[in-house]
Amino acid sequence: MQQLQVTDLQVEFGGLRAVDNLSFSVGEGEILCLLGPNGAGKSTTLDLICGKTQPTGGSIQLNGTEISQMLEFRRARLGIGRKFQVPSVYKDLTVAENLSLARSKRPGVWSALTRLALTDAREACEILERVHLSDRRDELAGNLSHGETQWLEIAMLIVQDSKLILMDEPTAGMTIQETERTAEIFRTLSASHTLIVVEHDMSFVRTVADRILVMNRGAMLAEGTIAEIEANDDVKTAYLGH
Amino acid sequence: MTSRFHYDLIALVIFAVVIAFGVPALMNYDGFELNTFARYLALAIVSAALALSWGTAGLLNLGQAATFGMGSYAMAMHLKLRASDGLPDFMGWNNVPELPLFWVPFESLAFTLLAGLLVPAFIGGLIAIFMFRARIAGVFVAIITLAFLVAFQLLVINQQGQTGGQNGLTGLAQLTLPGWTVDPYSMGFYYLVAGCLTVALAIGVYLTHSKFGLILRAIREDADRTRFFGYNVATYQTAIFCISAALAGWAGMLYTMVLEFASPTYMGVSFSLAIVIWCAVGGRESVIAAAFGAIVVNLLEGRLSDVFVEGWHLMLGVIFVLVVMFMPRGIYGLLTDIGARLRGPNRRQSPAKARPSPTQHLETGQEP
Repeated sequence: MQQLQVTDLQVEFGGLRAVDNLSFSVGEGEILCLLGPNGAGKSTTLDLICGKTQPTGGSIQLNGTEISQMLEFRRARLGIGRKFQVPSVYKDLTVAENLSLARSKRPGVWSALTRLALTDAREACEILERVHLSDRRDELAGNLSHGETQWLEIAMLIVQDSKLILMDEPTAGMTIQETERTAEIFRTLSASHTLIVVEHDMSFVRTVADRILVMNRGAMLAEGTIAEIEANDDVKTAYLGH
Repeated sequence: MTSRFHYDLIALVIFAVVIAFGVPALMNYDGFELNTFARYLALAIVSAALALSWGTAGLLNLGQAATFGMGSYAMAMHLKLRASDGLPDFMGWNNVPELPLFWVPFESLAFTLLAGLLVPAFIGGLIAIFMFRARIAGVFVAIITLAFLVAFQLLVINQQGQTGGQNGLTGLAQLTLPGWTVDPYSMGFYYLVAGCLTVALAIGVYLTHSKFGLILRAIREDADRTRFFGYNVATYQTAIFCISAALAGWAGMLYTMVLEFASPTYMGVSFSLAIVIWCAVGGRESVIAAAFGAIVVNLLEGRLSDVFVEGWHLMLGVIFVLVVMFMPRGIYGLLTDIGARLRGPNRRQSPAKARPSPTQHLETGQEP
């Protein structure tokens, strides 16, 4: 069975169909890349899956459970993690506090009352080695550079340990070396996680994607491996406008 | 364990030592002076309670005085029954033939103490559930809690037969604990209030440094993001509202014992706004600082209002405006900034300007 099954998904914003009868599925351990021109509905699709936006029609099933009407935090507890396009870390908290927060295996009030703020950070901070932030542990996240902020958010998602991770432009603003490193991290992640990645950087997509889904004006335009997509005439038309 | 946790624990110990030994010595162990200071200590608890909801979670509760008043009236009802032979005197004057049903359990001290904590927590929780499940935030929290405060005060004043109305509850007995009649002008009573404040602050310090406090700070900064980590934001906000209300009720019970009466002015708008000022002057990010702020402002008020009877409120207003403009994080912010500078210019610290001002989320309707 597929881990995530999206069927006839649609959402309207004041008459505009941002996502139009979209259907696709993602298998466990797969990395699916969403491509498409600006305004194609890629980020909106992620918003619909994680609950930031409510769909006007269609269904979203995670491991067979219908989630399209659930509140955000319930979906997160079922194992959906989200990285936003604009890096969304807590700027007033330290790096360690951000990670402790992301470690949300026990999200209830009682367990939060019986643990110190950084109890969960100890195990979580191993991850900082992998994203080159180990010496910034006690720094306020607001003082990190843009690339470091991106990595902190990626680290938070790894620590959150969601089965399905939605990444919105994870390499935006990164240097080539940083992007390569991120691709490496993603490949290791896919051993135990499923990823849906929205990304514009084609060389990054080539390295990480198992499968690619191209969207245009809210609908699916093409689906396939990188080679199939690059040979697809519809895709060329959508991107170049001919 | 973080260094900030250590600093807060050290501050708590120093604070406790000063109010336990320093203050009584300064006051020459004078009963009247100590009673006055015990009043400040009781108010410090309610200021610390506001720091928990406002400073930690970013929820400006302008109705804090309502929960304070509930605790205060719970204690007053018990002490009134102790002082009366049968029906309390004011009920006779209002032609109330027999004791209203909700008064009866207040004969019991245990019930009274529980009610003084749990009734405010329950009422606060109800309002919180209604607000936070609907994802109401920012300035609207302040408006709703303020409206509740006004409505609740009106209710208490209008039910004169049951509550004493505008006059409040006067002519109270002294609290009798097993083997101890609590005289509000005694050393023992001062230590009771000081002990309560220390325990309340210890609870507050623990809460702010627990994961619960961390999650609340995260909610203050970005509630939506926090939901995507699986936290039920409304539950957390409701929990801190209940805890804050229970602490306010506790403070109210002590306040009644200090002044030996309960008055509807304890549930007044001006009293509720005064709590906000104490909290802002001390620093809403730390419960100890907020308690300190309450003591400092009330000490000033005690000294200055003797001299400037009419002008004192104007001065208080000016102090508040100055604090908001030049010390948005209060005395606590000033101290941490000085501390950061002493540790050296190389250390990267958050610049004070990057911090949200206490009223920022009021102006924008957004959480800082």
